Amino acid sequence: METLVATPEVRTEHAPITAPKMSMRNLDFYYGKFHALKNVNLDVAERRVTAFIGPSGCGKSTLLRTLNRMYSLYPGQRATGQILFNGENLLDATVDLNMLRAKVGMVFQKPTPFPMSIYENIAFGIRLYENLSEREMDERVETALAKAAILDEVKDKLKQSGMALSGGQQQRLCIARAIAVQPDVLLLDEPTSALDPISTAKIEELLSDLKRDYTIAMVTHNMQQAARVSDFTAYMYLGDLIEFGETDQIFLRPMRKETEDYITGRFG
Amino acid sequence: MTQDHTNKQFDVEMEGIRSGVLSMGGMVEKQLTRAIKALSQEEDADLLDAVGADEAAINQLQINIDQQCAQIIARRQPAAVDLRMVLTVSKIVNDLERIGDEVKKIAYKAAQTRGSDQLTRVRYYDVGRAAANALAMLQHALDAFARLDVERAASIIDEDEAIDAAFSAILRQLISYMMEDPRTITPALEIVFIAKSIERIGDHAKNIAEAVVQVVKGKDVRHSSAKQIRAEVAQP
Amino acid sequence: MTTRYSRRLFVNRFNLVMSLITMAFGLTFLLWILLTLLQAGFHAFSTDLFTQMTPPPGSKGGLLNAIAGSVLMATMGTLIGTPIGILAGIYLAEFGSRGWLAPVTRFINDILLSAPSIVIGLFIYEAYVFRVGHFSAWAGAFALALIVIPVVIRTTENMLKLVPDSLREAAAALGTPQWKMILKVTLRSVRAGVITGILLAVARISGETAPLLFTALNNQFWTSNLDAPMANLPVVIFQFAMSPYSDWQQLAWAGALLITMAVLLLNILARTVFRQPRTR
Repeated sequence: METLVATPEVRTEHAPITAPKMSMRNLDFYYGKFHALKNVNLDVAERRVTAFIGPSGCGKSTLLRTLNRMYSLYPGQRATGQILFNGENLLDATVDLNMLRAKVGMVFQKPTPFPMSIYENIAFGIRLYENLSEREMDERVETALAKAAILDEVKDKLKQSGMALSGGQQQRLCIARAIAVQPDVLLLDEPTSALDPISTAKIEELLSDLKRDYTIAMVTHNMQQAARVSDFTAYMYLGDLIEFGETDQIFLRPMRKETEDYITGRFG
Repeated sequence: MTQDHTNKQFDVEMEGIRSGVLSMGGMVEKQLTRAIKALSQEEDADLLDAVGADEAAINQLQINIDQQCAQIIARRQPAAVDLRMVLTVSKIVNDLERIGDEVKKIAYKAAQTRGSDQLTRVRYYDVGRAAANALAMLQHALDAFARLDVERAASIIDEDEAIDAAFSAILRQLISYMMEDPRTITPALEIVFIAKSIERIGDHAKNIAEAVVQVVKGKDVRHSSAKQIRAEVAQP
Repeated sequence: MTTRYSRRLFVNRFNLVMSLITMAFGLTFLLWILLTLLQAGFHAFSTDLFTQMTPPPGSKGGLLNAIAGSVLMATMGTLIGTPIGILAGIYLAEFGSRGWLAPVTRFINDILLSAPSIVIGLFIYEAYVFRVGHFSAWAGAFALALIVIPVVIRTTENMLKLVPDSLREAAAALGTPQWKMILKVTLRSVRAGVITGILLAVARISGETAPLLFTALNNQFWTSNLDAPMANLPVVIFQFAMSPYSDWQQLAWAGALLITMAVLLLNILARTVFRQPRTR
């Protein structure tokens, strides 16, 4: 029997798994002698938001900082294993760190505007890699600001210092700065923990736009935030990856009891 | 739920909706017991008043528990097992209220048919037995909920099939009476309504059992066959 | 009100009064010095100060050659000392976390910072003046540079260390090479602090007498020859103040007032114009 009534489309799959953009294989990390990540295996899906949650000191930030090798700024920190990115193991000693970071951008917990004008904050990163005419540069700066949903608020004061913006605006400026160099991957280390709820909502809204173009990996202390914005969630505890899966599954029906206890607030 | 929440007040609120369901279930059970009594010939003038009063109390409980569920969602953002529990409680409360409605119908119809000397065997024996089965099923469903016992819940699904079968049998029997003697049509129709209500109670009890499976296993087993549900329950 | 509480209140008030008294004590002398200087020096102030050379005893004159010499040598000392100081400060702050060189440098710098300036004068005398065979403005500038360097190193390092690591990480996260990160981001963000440090160093060397006594010595006349002894305010003040001639003593007061005013001005400049802008 045929019905003439259009049946509403039933959406069962929320985030079809795309090709992994970054693949961690047997990843271990050490702060000196302290073993901070233990044999982590995980894929970061392309053009999706992957969130890392877990209690303080579980290694989620550490994990994020291996993805652009931020740790190599500090002596005594090292990672072993593999992180495959564009067909290469980015932990290899031969990898050019600056070229890696051009492809893997990062935004930090506290907004970090550079001590220069809003325009220069964005242009700074672009100039590292490209020689653009003034007009092209103007366009690129504007595009980056627009993508970070801050253009409307700053377009009349591009020459003003980036430090004079509000916290939420500074953070979006930092996101604009990171995407201005056109990376593949964007790492966000608790990007809203220093912001008020409205700025937080703006950034969360921004993330859902950005994932159309970028692969996003984020660390968050706020479980609800992970539930709201991410497609995949990884729960970590004491350096171990306990559970990794689609966010819908993790928050409705986690497989591991440890995960369930954490996300339902039965931790400790 | 082996471990307590870090936030104890959350535990108190979760326990609040859980015990709310159980006390509401207790009242519905009591109503059903009264209705079964009304099916018997005994005269009891106060019975209908009591049924009516308790029905209002049950409706109020439904509203209260639903409100508590909404508050937990708004204030605690429950996840995983907690979220499933809250959603399920809201569903169970709905089923219990509907059972309450059916029970009221049974009680009133029973009062109407009282005094008639026709079809007494069907009325007392077959319908009474089906009603007793429905009561047992409701008790089992609430028991399964109280203990979050999925195996118990799975067995209720079989009981529902028995009640459905009893309903069909009563219907066939009544049809043959009505064909034989048209004067029995009016009382027979009354009994059909009662039997239908009993069958509905069985369905609602089954919903409660399925909701218990969903809380524990995290899988929606509505519209699944008994076999599928058993398979799901058997999984660790 | 309990006795405990009133006791606490009393201790608080007592200590507050004591600190006010000690502050007043210190300030009194400072004001006294300033007042004396103003009284004695203002009296000797005239346009001649800026137009006439230092006179022989008994005749009229000014301090032009001494002022010019001081400004010239302080400028040269700053120009020599500042780049060295900033570069060393950058090394200590940005690269000094590993190895033995940085801690050793830091230790030596601390010694240099607290070394009496006369020691530095003697050192330049021994290392340069003695070998060349005569006093010179160059020697004076070198000695002053040696005083500038540790001050600038210290302020540069301290200011750079105030830059949060997150800013460095943010620059590194864009793939910024380290030299660019230091020049364009970290150093830039503490620009005001570093400039303040330089100004304070200038203020310090403009009043130093001891290192110049053994290096630039003095000159009665105008000279622009850097390889010859050169007049400068501190030594002129020293010499004139010790003399028995009252007109020389008057000039010494005027010079002292001039230096004090210049130092005061530099300090005010350092504290107001170049104050670290508050970030919100």
